[in-house]
Amino acid sequence: MHLDPFELHRPTSVEEAVRLARELAGRCDYLAGGTDLLPNYKMHLNLRPHLIALGDVRELRGHSLDRVGAAEPLADLEADPEFRAAYPGVADALGEVATPLVRASGTLGGNLLVETRCFFFNQSYFWRSSLGFCLKADGDKCHVVPQKERCYATFSGDLAPAFLTLDAEVEVAGPSGRRRRPLSELYDAAGDGIRRLSLAPGELVVALHLPRAARGQRGRYKKLRVRPSFDFPELGVAVAGRWDERSVDRLSLAVGGVETYPRRFDELTSPLLGAPLTTDRVDELAEAVLRKVRPVHNTFLLPDYRRRMVAVYVRRALAEAREGGAAG
Amino acid sequence: MASVSESPYRLLGRRIPYVEGPLKVTGRAEYTDDLQRPGMLVGRLLRSPWPHARLRSIDVTAARAVPGVHAVLTGDRYPTPFGVLPITHDETAIAVGKARYIGDIVAAVAASDERTAERALSLVRFDVEPLPEHSDPRMGVSKVDEPIHARGLAGSNVQKEVVQHFGDVDQAFARAAHSVRVRGTFAGVTHAFTEPMATVAEATPDGRLTVYSATQVPHYLHRALSEVLGLPMHRIRVIKPEVGGGFGGKSDPLPHEIVCAALAIETGRPVKILFDREDVFYTNHGRHPTQNDVRIATDADGNLLAYDIEALIDGGAWSSFGTVTTYYNGVLSMGPYRVPNFRYRGRRVYTNRPPSGAMRAHGGTNIRYTIEVALDRLAEEIGTDPFDLRVRNALPPDSTTINQFRITSSSFLECLSAVRTASGWDEKFRKLPYGRGVGLGCGFYISGSNSPIHFTPKMPQSTVHLKVDMDGGIAVHSMQADIGQGSNTLLAAIVAEVLGVDLDRVHVQRVDSDVSPIDLGSYSSRVTFMMGNAARRAAEELKERLLAAAAELLGRPAASLKVGHERFELSEDPSVGVPFLEALHRAMETTGALTSSGSYQTDPRGGAFKGAKAGTAPAYSFAAYVAEVEVDHETGEYRVEKVWAGFDCGRPLNRLAVEGQIEGSIHMGLGQVLGESMNYRGARLFNPSLLEYKIPTPQQMPEVEILLVGRDDPAGPFGAKEAGEGPLIATLPAVGNALYDAIGVRFTELPITPDRVLRGIDRRHAEGRGWKGR
Amino acid sequence: MASPDRVSFRLNGQPVEPSCPPERILLDLLREELRLTGTKRGCDLGTCGCCTVLVDGRPTLSCLTLARLVDGRSVDTIEGLSPAQGLSPVQRSFVEHGATQCGFCTPGFVVTATALLRRNPHPSRAEIEGAIAGNLCRCTGYRKIVEAIEAAAGGR
Repeated sequence: MHLDPFELHRPTSVEEAVRLARELAGRCDYLAGGTDLLPNYKMHLNLRPHLIALGDVRELRGHSLDRVGAAEPLADLEADPEFRAAYPGVADALGEVATPLVRASGTLGGNLLVETRCFFFNQSYFWRSSLGFCLKADGDKCHVVPQKERCYATFSGDLAPAFLTLDAEVEVAGPSGRRRRPLSELYDAAGDGIRRLSLAPGELVVALHLPRAARGQRGRYKKLRVRPSFDFPELGVAVAGRWDERSVDRLSLAVGGVETYPRRFDELTSPLLGAPLTTDRVDELAEAVLRKVRPVHNTFLLPDYRRRMVAVYVRRALAEAREGGAAG
Repeated sequence: MASVSESPYRLLGRRIPYVEGPLKVTGRAEYTDDLQRPGMLVGRLLRSPWPHARLRSIDVTAARAVPGVHAVLTGDRYPTPFGVLPITHDETAIAVGKARYIGDIVAAVAASDERTAERALSLVRFDVEPLPEHSDPRMGVSKVDEPIHARGLAGSNVQKEVVQHFGDVDQAFARAAHSVRVRGTFAGVTHAFTEPMATVAEATPDGRLTVYSATQVPHYLHRALSEVLGLPMHRIRVIKPEVGGGFGGKSDPLPHEIVCAALAIETGRPVKILFDREDVFYTNHGRHPTQNDVRIATDADGNLLAYDIEALIDGGAWSSFGTVTTYYNGVLSMGPYRVPNFRYRGRRVYTNRPPSGAMRAHGGTNIRYTIEVALDRLAEEIGTDPFDLRVRNALPPDSTTINQFRITSSSFLECLSAVRTASGWDEKFRKLPYGRGVGLGCGFYISGSNSPIHFTPKMPQSTVHLKVDMDGGIAVHSMQADIGQGSNTLLAAIVAEVLGVDLDRVHVQRVDSDVSPIDLGSYSSRVTFMMGNAARRAAEELKERLLAAAAELLGRPAASLKVGHERFELSEDPSVGVPFLEALHRAMETTGALTSSGSYQTDPRGGAFKGAKAGTAPAYSFAAYVAEVEVDHETGEYRVEKVWAGFDCGRPLNRLAVEGQIEGSIHMGLGQVLGESMNYRGARLFNPSLLEYKIPTPQQMPEVEILLVGRDDPAGPFGAKEAGEGPLIATLPAVGNALYDAIGVRFTELPITPDRVLRGIDRRHAEGRGWKGR
Repeated sequence: MASPDRVSFRLNGQPVEPSCPPERILLDLLREELRLTGTKRGCDLGTCGCCTVLVDGRPTLSCLTLARLVDGRSVDTIEGLSPAQGLSPVQRSFVEHGATQCGFCTPGFVVTATALLRRNPHPSRAEIEGAIAGNLCRCTGYRKIVEAIEAAAGGR
């Protein structure tokens, strides 16, 4: 399978990358590990004539407990015992992404921004042409929920839910400089499977920042899928917080793999603060999350089942949440 | 009959590493896509985006005009129909008149490079008339508008109907004390070998055509090429490089192989066609989506009285092996139990889906699942242990089934007792906590087919040639096709065993129809049995001549000599002998290089009724497996923890390869249970990729304990029977029945995905049925 | 840095500088341009592991790597992991344990296993299974592959 010709740009700084992207607005993609973009390019999904490769931008590499460069390979995070110990939920998620081979090249930024997925979208040009193209690529209608307005492609990254629960922030570079904002705001809750990010054209995610308080929390990420490797999440549930038998000091919960964006449920978790996390409260929380999500039939497992698993996975994630190390 | 636990042989019966292993671990083994020829063009196929359409006209003018395009072909150029079975030639190299499924080949191009080829194909223009889409085999059994093929039965889409009745089934059910009825529903599954299909073809000015292809059956490809291209077979040379797995998916002659050759003829240049993974899925020929209804009757003690079976088989767009499939879904239920009355109606129906065909344990897998689940239910109803029910009904060795299969060796009872003990069955069955369970499944399979596709029934199924020259190396020629199962290794080992030489003297030659004598290739689990016998005979012939030469040198009668290690020696005093090379050189003095030939043909088998030959084999393998599972009853996810595999392959000639076949079979069988399925919505395949077609990963493999309990088969080479396909079958029902033991739910629809498990538990709760206190 | 239409890297220890358009995939460059056919094309989409090579010692899906981006780096293919004579310990163990059947996935497994043992000379069985979880084998059921890697580790 060859790729159609494109022009390859290799900036060496964030500013140069952003400048290029502004000049090429709408005609370029950023390329980091390539494990998400290149399969899509091979399937002729939303090709652009310019690729801006980020591998030579040193600032995007490297990680500490406070900051992870956007082009840091997932395997490098996974291989850092201190990082894993500090953020147990993230550690779970790191081990669950695709396969070790994908994680060797795939990057943090790539996983946070992974293209939304759908049975009608992740297909070859031939396949899509035989059915009629869809909203998300080359067409004007949705085959999942037949209409012409909204795309239901599913957010399928594993790391976003885990980092969302830690109040992580993303550092974004754009034509007007840098800004930091909560990771949750990277995703467009009012959008859909196409308009899924709040990034302006040319904006580049530079790094993820973790607040001091993110360390040492309990955490867990649980992923539903058919096979223990390869598969994208059919559901991903992340929890983090500080609690014991007597009281909940902090609790955060995020879900991916069932909607067009990864979603945090503060409105459901905040009422639990200050009280013990009883079985009843956990069950109520689990059922409440379940009621909030509406998966559609565009992945391998049936949507009713995925929805039902939301409650089970929430309960289990809370029960299995491990104490993070490296506190303070 | 000797027990096989100790090997009396020097090589056979031991663990023999694969002879081509060093080439494979270094990347030096040469597969079809590794071949390059000077001036080679790229061949590409245009596939139908329509499930069913009449092709009114095709305009290739613009495509031909693209610079770099050397040929554009449509179906009318080589319209001769072909197919693997002589009686069902319903395929063409490129669609003629109609496109029959999404993925059907409708045009082909040879061009200087991939991009040019694709550009040309994008310029082919069609005038098509869409036709009704047929994707539900239930609708295809009666007369339909616009049947997929004109040859469908009475205006329907039924490709083949088989009706058989032995004994009196209705009378048996009337006097039965117990009976059950189970409907099994099976999604299609596919081989998913790692090497995509590839073919290289070259037509040369001497009027010959050479075709290299990733094929399991070079001989059938050879015949199909000859038929469709109108060239005599002797002007076609078929070469099989290394093949990256087949499992049945490379056993039909496939249209792209013929198209590649046609493009080579049209252009005068070498042409390569390499498949994308998506092409592999559209080519399919995998296990048929099937629905089967099984009724089983027993007397009060659990003695089987009758089977009454109906099978509805989704064939996809072509016949392929489908007539055989239709028979096998019935007749392969004739073992491993004695069935005194038997009725079967099987129908295979064309649909506008990628063709189904032969896949590992062809025709014996889905029906076996339903029967074994039905037996598990019967055992429960009767109140007997599933093992005891099977022991009671086991088909004995040296017996004849009601449809006149001759059973010779069988260690089925030994399989049962070995796994019962090893698995700790009696301590576990119905005694493990809720969510954990054990299940028993059994199997039975042909060790080659007695009535293969062949020129005449009397011709040998396998021939092996040996040549030894002064260097002392032994060249082995045969068209048997090693596709990874280790047949080259076995061939070399048999020759080395008989002649007493080291394995490194024996060189199995690449399959090349110019020099390889015909063997029917790797399908129907025939290779060890048939090639093994042919190889043994060829080697025995050489041995006699070498012994005679050694006898001359020693001045002793040949009868007083025996084969030693790399020498021939006196039976009574092995210190007196002649080295192999000396005997060889003596034997060559008058003849030059020594050559020999051995062949094998099956004895006639089977009754005289219509279809009597289907399922006849010179021997049968037997299996009894126990699986242990752990079910998460809240999520429906489960893990197969361990499989105990009791298998009768006669004498295992290469233990490493037999274990490899069993472990690989369990993996593949497990895939069909855990999540593999060709996901169709109507005629459309939704998961033509290795991401969405869920082959089990390393972490999903259970522990496997293999118990080889066979005895020497009287007709098998050195007592061996098959081990390539039979080991798959028992896996599925063992897991299905273990799930029942774990959670009290019968699963009759495969794959058993977690959502289905949960639905099953819900249903049980709704019915108010408790299980193990839950 | 190579000239604009070329890529310059160390391939199996030797410097190479083939011409290479931007859209060329590393797998295609290796197999078609450089004729190193030991690296296999199984799915072309990163979902089988047959095309695994080492880039700066890290197992990498060559089907999802732009060839131009290995500029200045070091690429080792199965050919480069094979000694001039005989076999590497991992390769020998694969042969002895029957970890090959059709052999098409084998180079990818050997590359992955070699990298694992360099990083972690004594992996547990679970670590081995985890490390090879991106490589598909359809023949062996993985048991003999895992055993071969375990034995190769034990033999060091």
